[in-house]
Amino acid sequence: MNLLGISINHHTAPVELREALHLNANEIRTFIQQTKDSAFAEGIIISTCNRTEVYAIPKSDKTSLKDLESLIKNYKSSFDVKDENFQHFISRESVEHLFRVACGIESLLIGDNQIFKQVKDCFQISEEMEFAGVLIRRVMDAATRVGKRAITETAISEGAVTVSYASVQLVEKIFSNLQKKSALIIGTGETGEIAAKHLRDRGIGRLALTNRSFEKAEKLAAELNTAVFPFSNFKEHLHKFDIVVSATSAEGLIITKKDIEEAMKKRNYASMVLMDIAIPRDIDPESKKIDYVFYHDIDSLNIIVEQNLGKRKSEIPKVEKIIQEELDSFFEWYHSLEAAPTIKTLRDYFESVRAEEVEKSINKFSENDKEKLEIITKRIINKILHHPTIELRKISESDVRAEDTAAKISTIRDLFGLNEKKEEK
Amino acid sequence: MLPSIHTINFLLPFFYVATFAIYFYDFQQGGKKFQNSKRLFLFLTLIFHFLYLVLRTVEFNHPPITNVFEIFTVLAFAISFSYFILELVTDIRRTGPFIIIISIIFQVISTLFIQDLAEVKEVLRSNLLGIHVISALIGYSGITISAVYGFLYLILYKEIKLNKFGLIFNRLPSLEILEKMSFFSAVIGFVFLTITIIIGVIWLPQAFPNIKFTDPKLIGTFAVWILYGFGLINKFLGKWRGKKLIMLSIIGFTLAILSTILTNFLAKSFHSFY
Repeated sequence: MNLLGISINHHTAPVELREALHLNANEIRTFIQQTKDSAFAEGIIISTCNRTEVYAIPKSDKTSLKDLESLIKNYKSSFDVKDENFQHFISRESVEHLFRVACGIESLLIGDNQIFKQVKDCFQISEEMEFAGVLIRRVMDAATRVGKRAITETAISEGAVTVSYASVQLVEKIFSNLQKKSALIIGTGETGEIAAKHLRDRGIGRLALTNRSFEKAEKLAAELNTAVFPFSNFKEHLHKFDIVVSATSAEGLIITKKDIEEAMKKRNYASMVLMDIAIPRDIDPESKKIDYVFYHDIDSLNIIVEQNLGKRKSEIPKVEKIIQEELDSFFEWYHSLEAAPTIKTLRDYFESVRAEEVEKSINKFSENDKEKLEIITKRIINKILHHPTIELRKISESDVRAEDTAAKISTIRDLFGLNEKKEEK
Repeated sequence: MLPSIHTINFLLPFFYVATFAIYFYDFQQGGKKFQNSKRLFLFLTLIFHFLYLVLRTVEFNHPPITNVFEIFTVLAFAISFSYFILELVTDIRRTGPFIIIISIIFQVISTLFIQDLAEVKEVLRSNLLGIHVISALIGYSGITISAVYGFLYLILYKEIKLNKFGLIFNRLPSLEILEKMSFFSAVIGFVFLTITIIIGVIWLPQAFPNIKFTDPKLIGTFAVWILYGFGLINKFLGKWRGKKLIMLSIIGFTLAILSTILTNFLAKSFHSFY
């Protein structure tokens, strides 16, 4: 199978280059058009902020990986893409790499399941652009299966692996129902905004924001439909919140232990979670000594992240086993697309239908006629299959590309359901 | 029938240990592999145990509630059965090993010391006593489960405070859920202990006309009842929460167990039936 693959990813290129080479949906469409016009018959282009990959089947056997590289280099000619920025894959290696990408074990954050959706979206574009043929479709079916199996059969995507998600995981170990809880976000920079959105996504009951620049807080509050407190008096409202996330760029502490003690008294010591995800820290770490106060900073959240990443890494061998199973299954299908096995399967299928029907009606015939029935029905089957058999032999003996032969044979197999028949056996 | 009763009595601790093992393995490993099979295992153990209780009742012509070792086997059953129902209703599946181990303790003691008892003291042949014991069993199951969830709450509370994110952190439900489970179990326990005491007080003068109200069993039981009552009132008034209430639940459970051991084995009490 002449599937060529190239990849620029976090192992081969710095982040600036990866960002520069990122293709949005429209760019992928244009790139596919150029690829189709040049030397490639079908393929898929995957591009995320961390990787850009091209998998394609050439129209001619003379086309090589260098031609695929040139396409990217020419498309992004203003950037200095070097040979060493590329990883190369041929045939089984290409399919295997695509499977590894789809299930997230090649991702920067191992087990990241967003990549699964991104790969499917990229395939959708190939379909739209009529760049996905029989083989690519089948490869993608298998890749989708690998992705789903990896999620359901292993723990590769379990546990929080970012600080923001880790803080939500921690909050959910303290409170059972976020819908009945309230949260205050102090600081509406990028980190604060992400935290606010995570809590909103998890269904927090009441969300409020505060920020030194009131306008900035108001802007985010309008987007998230939340309340805003002026930074000057937010401490007066601290006791009203079950969760406080602080992510300002202040140089010193903005909430002291005394502030928390006062808030806890007003709350009658109902549990309060303090997430200090600012560097340097915003909340006095001594607050953790107060009963029912759960204080956590970046370091403690990183412990969760590291543990979960470790667990995900330990799941990689299980995912690799799934990949090997699906690779074997895919190539078993691919090799069945050769003419000789298809002729045999086709003839076996017709013979089984004939034998089954004869069996059903054989008792209606006399002893003499039974033999004739066998001969006549076999003759009919042979006549029906004579022409398809000759044509299949011709396909395999001509100079047509192996991929084109495979596509034609695949159509025949699909038409008569020969793949299902084989699986049933 | 006797050989069957002896065989099941011998096998029951092994059944509970096997159930505990599968629950504990699932707790350690995580995932969904044993999620349903462990429940089936517990169900089969409970069926087996129920069969044992029925066989004893038929063979010895009285329900197994007339001495402390008979009570222990019913208590082992009641605790695991309560947990089984709790797991079905709440779908919280990872706390099983901590409850089942309590059943193991009671069942092992019962298996070792229980005797074939055909003769029952005349004083114990009373319908009121039957209701008293059943109510006490539900009550004790309630306070046992409350104490276990309370204990788990304290461990998880400490782990989160100390940034220890190990097995306990990953497997147990949230602190809020543990607190609620402990509280509701304590409420059930308290209500049934109250019924137990009321029936006991009605039955007591009939059965033991010379009873003294300074009997260790009565003092112990009232102490446990007052302790739980005091804690629950404070909870309803919004004064107590979290650790404080849970500590009370654990102390209450410990007192209840100590009171049972003391009055049944060590002190001279009207309640020494063994």
